[in-house]
Amino acid sequence: MARLNTMPEPMRSHLAGLPCPTFDTRPWVTGPPLSRRRVAIISTAGLHRREDRPFEGMTGDYRVIPDTCTAKDLVMTHISTNFDRTGFVQDWNVVFPLDRLHELAADQTIGSVAEFHYSFMGAADPGAMEQAAGRLAGLLKGDAVDAALLVPV
Amino acid sequence: MGALGHYLETQGIPTTQISLIREHTETIQPPRALWVPFALGRPLGRPGDPVFQTRVILTALALVEAENGPVLEDFPDDAPDVSEPAEDIADLPACPVSFARPDGQKTETEQLLEAFRQELADCRSWYDMATAKRGFSSVAYFPLQAAFQLFHDFLLDKPISLDDNIASTALALRLAAQDLKAAYFESVMVRPDVTLPDDTAFTRWFWQKTAAGEVLRAVRDKCRASDDPALKLNGKLLLVPMDQASS
Repeated sequence: MARLNTMPEPMRSHLAGLPCPTFDTRPWVTGPPLSRRRVAIISTAGLHRREDRPFEGMTGDYRVIPDTCTAKDLVMTHISTNFDRTGFVQDWNVVFPLDRLHELAADQTIGSVAEFHYSFMGAADPGAMEQAAGRLAGLLKGDAVDAALLVPV
Repeated sequence: MGALGHYLETQGIPTTQISLIREHTETIQPPRALWVPFALGRPLGRPGDPVFQTRVILTALALVEAENGPVLEDFPDDAPDVSEPAEDIADLPACPVSFARPDGQKTETEQLLEAFRQELADCRSWYDMATAKRGFSSVAYFPLQAAFQLFHDFLLDKPISLDDNIASTALALRLAAQDLKAAYFESVMVRPDVTLPDDTAFTRWFWQKTAAGEVLRAVRDKCRASDDPALKLNGKLLLVPMDQASS
């Protein structure tokens, strides 16, 4: 289980020692009820289309994942070897819950699903993601997304 | 993950997120987060359980209707049917890697590669059946034979040729290692002689009982000894999990 105090060493110390940024501001954007929101998935699992470029390092770049992607189209090239990938191999929804999102849109629990989703490689320095996040925000606005679901790995 | 939520919300995008490491989320304080007590690599809980996954995703999405924040909520349940790690994987098959060949003609590395080649031959049929059954494989860049060739050539100092989309030997080794594990797991899913007793058993079996695991440790050791910084990083962190490094 992903509780630091129950994790075995040396993973516990490694994760406990990772630098986490702190911020002086607390941004807060409101919107309509969930049933009218357009939702995109932002993953940090290092996912991308099979024919896209693999993640190579800590550069904070991202890959675009069309909503039409299916499980066979998506691969994972996250740089870390310290998490279990067998769940993803069995069922992509355990990392990238796109089927679940489509079900929620079909029964009108959410308004709609975005045309594009995105994935970063989560081992990158968070600071390196800041500029990419600025560009990504423009893409999400262009897709009328008003709820980004961020999913780690 | 939390920093990304902060950056996007600052740019006007409402965010909600799943948190796997609560302590990190407490420090970063992103706008909205649902901490889940699941294993790393399984943020939605359990593969093949859409009802449970929907509960998780809905609980996270509901946070966008919170009136003020930051919000850090705890998901109340562990993933269903998650068993404690079984102590013993002795019943799982092992590839015998012997370094005591009477002919004495081959080096330890050559003998290891030969055991690996035989293990791959055993694995291949199951892998092909698994792929046919699912209609695809999670292997991304290096099918079994290509992975074997890469590790073989690297360990024996042979010339290595790379596809255009693989920028370096270090990247190739890392991707091939991940593909090898994916192929082994896919083959295990259909093998009748392997029943994984819990969610962590595959990792322990792969690293403790297969020639492939031994080959990756040998590749790690060679990377560590390299002067190439990318190979050295591979050797230090990116080929063998921390909890299997010394086995």
